Amino acid sequence: MDLILELLNAGWKGLLDYLAAHVLLCLVPAFFIAGYLSGLMPKETVTRYLGPKTPKYISYPAAAIGGFLLAVCSCTILPLFAGIWKRGAGLGPAITFLFVGPAVNILAISYTGAAVGMDIAIARLVLAIAFGIVIGLIMAALFQEQQSTMANAALFEQKATLRPELWALFGLLIAVLIAGTLQIGLLKNTVFSVTVPVTLPGSVQQTLDALNLTLQGALLIALLVLIAPVAWRGMSNVLIGFNRWTWIALVLVAITLLLAAPTTSSGSLVVHFTGRFFAEAILLGALVYVVATKLERQELAHWLWETWRFVRQIFPLLIVGVFFAGMFREITPEEWVKQLAGRNTIWANLIGVTFGIFMYFPTLVEVPVARAFLDLGMHRGPLLAYLLADPELSLQSILVTGRILGRKKTITYVSLVALFSTTAGYLFGLALATF
Amino acid sequence: MLTIKVLGSGCPNCQKVEANARQALAMLQLPNGHQIIHVKDPLAISEYVLKTPGLVINEKVVSQGRIPDPSEIMTWLAEALSAQN
Repeated sequence: MDLILELLNAGWKGLLDYLAAHVLLCLVPAFFIAGYLSGLMPKETVTRYLGPKTPKYISYPAAAIGGFLLAVCSCTILPLFAGIWKRGAGLGPAITFLFVGPAVNILAISYTGAAVGMDIAIARLVLAIAFGIVIGLIMAALFQEQQSTMANAALFEQKATLRPELWALFGLLIAVLIAGTLQIGLLKNTVFSVTVPVTLPGSVQQTLDALNLTLQGALLIALLVLIAPVAWRGMSNVLIGFNRWTWIALVLVAITLLLAAPTTSSGSLVVHFTGRFFAEAILLGALVYVVATKLERQELAHWLWETWRFVRQIFPLLIVGVFFAGMFREITPEEWVKQLAGRNTIWANLIGVTFGIFMYFPTLVEVPVARAFLDLGMHRGPLLAYLLADPELSLQSILVTGRILGRKKTITYVSLVALFSTTAGYLFGLALATF
Repeated sequence: MLTIKVLGSGCPNCQKVEANARQALAMLQLPNGHQIIHVKDPLAISEYVLKTPGLVINEKVVSQGRIPDPSEIMTWLAEALSAQN
């Protein structure tokens, strides 16, 4: 019985760590950016560089950028992959696209940055793009294919331009994400502090302390719980029309960001209004202006719908995953992890990769799992190897790609990814030790 | 008879397109016998479009990469019917 309580407690602590203010400041904008990319960014901006006649030096980088911009949702990856391979630029760029997509979408990178560390997030981004291109080139060289007879240049010829207003919107969203996550003095320093002029009843304070919560944390959790049903009513039918709940949900989201930006410490009612708070407030104001005056209703609806779809698809699994990662950290003896992957060796990196292959985690859950490993003493090298391999190579994704690619190509691809992830982790670990 | 193909790997958006297509058929009060096929195979999808969800009526791509609403689909269905006759 005690054990169960202890485990629940550990899971709860995990939840608090990952739903803390600094993570919300990154995840909330990241979800809106993902929705923007999926709902408003026309895919033609990238696919026109992936046709059968595009020269290699353009198609490979375009495939990598495409992985970043287009592949937020796994259900769009496979048709695009098949299209690029059979009817467009060929096997190489298609493989690059397949590799880059799951590893470096905006959600995965910004969440990794907030929860595990910026060094790992940037390494994940750069290495995934570089290796995606290299693995694509190797696959193309190994399986020299005639230009597919099914090639269809017309499919890739459509062009699209994004209105300047939509670029401005995109820029603002990225700015909100950066203002929420960047750790520099200008954003971190306190501009002025206010003591909240209420005293909490002793019992409330005791409950908060017992749960390890600050008042800010408790309010944030309350807001999230409140947003769930409101967004459900406001967003589920947003394509048909907006209703009162749509606007209430958006206002609550804005309040969440503004409430997460100041810093407080537990047990005190002093609120430090940081530069971050004012940056977020100004940017949100600008966002409201652009959305209200420049965006068509239909565009706003598609953007909100895609954002909501990601939240509904990913967030519940993430919460469950975070809870279990917390429990996992509690019951796993540190010595095991330290012994297996505590130092940066080829062997340790290979273990990280193997774990990534055999464990299947839903999108983003690999991040709290990685954090748990880090806390248990895993070296950052093998940790990166794990983070590179996990979204690429689950048994499930291997089976799915196997059906399209055929056995021989799949085995080659999987071996290459495993090899490169191991190498990447090892080199990253070495680099960390040197600098 | 119309052949309607919904292209998509079974994600929520593709299901929404299929639902909207059924609704459009119902709203037009078309007699039965029309076929709705949900194409899930990525290679087969790429014969038509790059962006899912896609909607194909009598082998003609009418929409891709977005969710058309039932009234839009109704006009396409009507066009396809009149082209047929």
